[in-house]
Amino acid sequence: MRRIIVTLLYISIVCAMPLGVTRAQARADNPSETLIRNATVLTITHGTLANTDVLIRNGKIAGVGKGLTAGANARIIDGAGKFVMPGIIDCHSHSMLDTINEGTLAVTSMVRTSDVLNPTDIDLYRELAGGVTTLNLLHGSANPIGGLNTVVKIKFGRPASEFIFPGAMPGIKFALGENVKRSSNTNLPGATRRYPSTRMGVEETIRDAFTRARDYKKTWDEYKSAVAKGNKNLMPPRRDLQLEPLVEILEGKRYVHAHCYIASEILMLISLADEFGFKIKTFQHVLEGYKVAKEIAAHGAGASTFADSWAYKIEAYDAIPYNMAILTRAGVVVSVNSDSDERARRLNIEAAKAMHWGDLTEEQALKLITLNPAIQLGIQDRVGSIEVGKDADLAIWNAHPFSVYARVDTTIIDGDVFFDRQQDLSRRADLTKERAALEQADPNRPAARGTAPQAPGRRRPSGHEDDDIWEGERP
Amino acid sequence: MPSVRLRLLATLLALCLLPAFAIRFAIAQHTGIDTYAITNARIVPVSGATIERGAVVFRNGLITAVGANVTIPSDARVIDGAGLTVYPGLIDSYTNLALPEAPPAPAGGGGGGGAFLLIQQAAQPRPGGPNSTQPEGLQPETLVEDVIRTGGTDLESARNAGFTSALTLPRSGIWIGQSALINLAGGTPQQMIIKSPVAMHVSFTPLRGTYPGSLMGVFAQLRQMLLDAQRYSDSMKIYDRSPRGVRRPDADRSLAALIPVLEGRMPVVMLANSEREITRALDLASEFKLKLIIAGGREAGRVTDRLVKQNVPVLLSLNLPRRTTAAMPEADPEPLRTLRERVEAQQTAGQLAKAKVRFGFQSGSLPNASDIMVNANRTIENGLSAQDALRAFTVWPAEILGAGDQLGSIEVGKIANLTITRGDLFDRNSRITHVFIDGKPVDLRPAPAAAGAPRATLTGAWALSVNLGEEKTATLNLRQEGDRLTGSIQGQLGTGEISNASTGSEIRFTIVLNLEGQTKEATFVGTMTGNELRGSVTVDGRAPGTFTATRATPN
Repeated sequence: MRRIIVTLLYISIVCAMPLGVTRAQARADNPSETLIRNATVLTITHGTLANTDVLIRNGKIAGVGKGLTAGANARIIDGAGKFVMPGIIDCHSHSMLDTINEGTLAVTSMVRTSDVLNPTDIDLYRELAGGVTTLNLLHGSANPIGGLNTVVKIKFGRPASEFIFPGAMPGIKFALGENVKRSSNTNLPGATRRYPSTRMGVEETIRDAFTRARDYKKTWDEYKSAVAKGNKNLMPPRRDLQLEPLVEILEGKRYVHAHCYIASEILMLISLADEFGFKIKTFQHVLEGYKVAKEIAAHGAGASTFADSWAYKIEAYDAIPYNMAILTRAGVVVSVNSDSDERARRLNIEAAKAMHWGDLTEEQALKLITLNPAIQLGIQDRVGSIEVGKDADLAIWNAHPFSVYARVDTTIIDGDVFFDRQQDLSRRADLTKERAALEQADPNRPAARGTAPQAPGRRRPSGHEDDDIWEGERP
Repeated sequence: MPSVRLRLLATLLALCLLPAFAIRFAIAQHTGIDTYAITNARIVPVSGATIERGAVVFRNGLITAVGANVTIPSDARVIDGAGLTVYPGLIDSYTNLALPEAPPAPAGGGGGGGAFLLIQQAAQPRPGGPNSTQPEGLQPETLVEDVIRTGGTDLESARNAGFTSALTLPRSGIWIGQSALINLAGGTPQQMIIKSPVAMHVSFTPLRGTYPGSLMGVFAQLRQMLLDAQRYSDSMKIYDRSPRGVRRPDADRSLAALIPVLEGRMPVVMLANSEREITRALDLASEFKLKLIIAGGREAGRVTDRLVKQNVPVLLSLNLPRRTTAAMPEADPEPLRTLRERVEAQQTAGQLAKAKVRFGFQSGSLPNASDIMVNANRTIENGLSAQDALRAFTVWPAEILGAGDQLGSIEVGKIANLTITRGDLFDRNSRITHVFIDGKPVDLRPAPAAAGAPRATLTGAWALSVNLGEEKTATLNLRQEGDRLTGSIQGQLGTGEISNASTGSEIRFTIVLNLEGQTKEATFVGTMTGNELRGSVTVDGRAPGTFTATRATPN
């Protein structure tokens, strides 16, 4: 039975691949105005408005109210019986990345996820179908200081450069605990373990890196002031791409997103950050966050966690489903994330769980996947709620998004439609035809003899819940 | 006093002339003949209009005359080119030709352990070359000219396929090193080199078990080394201005090698096939204002706008993707994307030509050299004109590689590299009859056995049936050793040896047949399915026919 389901799922996925012509069509078909009429609008910041129109003009929300009108060329969407909410923001994703970890070193702040974006990753389309519009693409958790993040809007069908979220705060991935000290790896005889292999070593690695970053900044400051005084024979110091982002952290110009689990390591990182005078923007996973909620709130950090995923490794044993609620009540800005291409398609349900476990209000629960992750990424002035002037990043549902029966009819980013369920359904026959034609083309005709085709490898293994420990490339 | 001056002058003159005489003498002695004339041939100079009947004369390795009315020097060895077409020698614009055998792959590291184990085994990065500051794989200072060698079966099979020159580069690395443009024949490695170094080469291939071990790391390290090279250059300038009182910068060969790249004096060839790889290469080149060339370029047709805008040429691989495995009913269907990619790869050349992106063809390490023309034909069937296809094998790569004055066309003063065919170069049934490199004829032989995966052998007796208007039968005895195919025929079609044979996805050979009392050269092209060979036969002056051959002794 499971096999049949998997097969059906696969077929539906293959069929759901949009046509190659999408890119050209997407631009031509998108008018400058869209009017959603008579829908239930979940504004996040101004409550739930029944029988309300949303007007989109030039990619921005131009009006929220009753009886709005649009120009003759506007796209009109009948919202009767439908629910409009801000596009979902996933604060922890590895979709779209051709590689996730640079695990060879303990500090890899020189690597950038923006260098390895794959705008054709089919997971992006599936996430659009789940109402997701913005992703925080993070480096994996193989090392204490990982690579730089990229915040993207899922403009599937467009070049990677158009995905980049303009003005999002630059960020970086930190990681603590088991993944970093590589405790779940078998060690081959004779092989050297990469330092650090204890939580003490993790702290030392981060402290050492920031000590070097401080010295680096000093060296450059001294050089610049010497040059300003007219010294021409001074050799320029080396530009170090590893330390530059750390200097930016010290200067408050880059957000730290720190993967963590247990309370002690959370406190460790807070005190380390205090020592160097910088802030942790979000603790990621943070399953024991409820134990140190006050300390997290006092530091001003956010928390981006799972709803009810736990016990998949030792450091996840103490997790409880009330984490989101307890942290929220302590005054922490909380989001619920996916860290998974699969879970990313149903973040609405993950947020709904916060109403069940811990009795958050509907608005608080909705914020977990909209305004709160927007705050955590420094994009709250652009997205995260339905307000005039904000980006028109919207998901239109056929039922309340917290219903298990809800599905997305339309996903809009900057006023343009990037997922439309009816369009998807109507294209499936064309895709079947295209496949049949392609199978007949000479380069696709199998050779007379040959070995059986290799089963395509999984993009990421399912062994880890926080699967970002995966190294990203098969050997 | 005047006499002293005169004597001095005479001595100087003699000194000047002596080496010239000596060299002329040495060459003449070495080869015997240094002047050739190919007459009565169809000449496709590429640089100008085709000469339907004319002559090419070349002396001492350089073309001295070409045209319809050319005086043939009395000392020239004359080759009657009736029925032949003379082309400029073909250029393979991205190869590992003339390199020593690749060292065996390092043991360990693989297996079922996956990447985790690789990381853990990250013991000591292997140093890359003498006194290199970087681990193996990051040596921009590597010069391929230091290792190229003459001879070798790889050169031989490239020549047999009509190639006379190639860009050759070291085999691997992120900074792969610097390439050379070589002729594919020559007495010494030094004689083979036309230009070196030509370009710096980059591939986005992570190192194993050491930093950079991921694609992200590759870009970070490329960036860091370019920044370091810039600083090295700046520091050296400061130091050279006034060394006294300035601490000298540490010498660094790797960084020094990158300075011409940063200054735009040396192009950088980045190996990039998919749209996103090409985009990444274009982005990196913009970031550091590099003079970029794309190699591979399978999806370059999707980014022609940017290639034109940044004036980036492409060394387009003819190793076109195709399905190599049988369709299994129980297997998952291949993604639509994969199916599309295989079809679209054939269209890239035409798209580049249409968008006026400069490009040259390269073999892309196709294991069987004869597949290059088969695939070139597929690009012609998918939108590329035959003229442009020829340009992509000759004048375009010559220009891209900065050798437009030396190679790429049949013009006076250029290197006498010529590929001569019977039939049009892109005709499936044409055959290469002569190849000249540096004005010297090349011995064309089928490539000897190459090591490779064992395939079904053609060895054995076959019952041959040829239909060229009427059906005739014969027995075909074939013997295959590796890629080398020999054999003979006996029966209604006469008796003879097969020649010009090649194997691979397609099997070809030529036999002199006895047809109605006349001996005619027939070219067989076919494929083997099980115990059957099936294909077409072409004979000059006749309508094409078909043939089948069934194994007399099934294996």
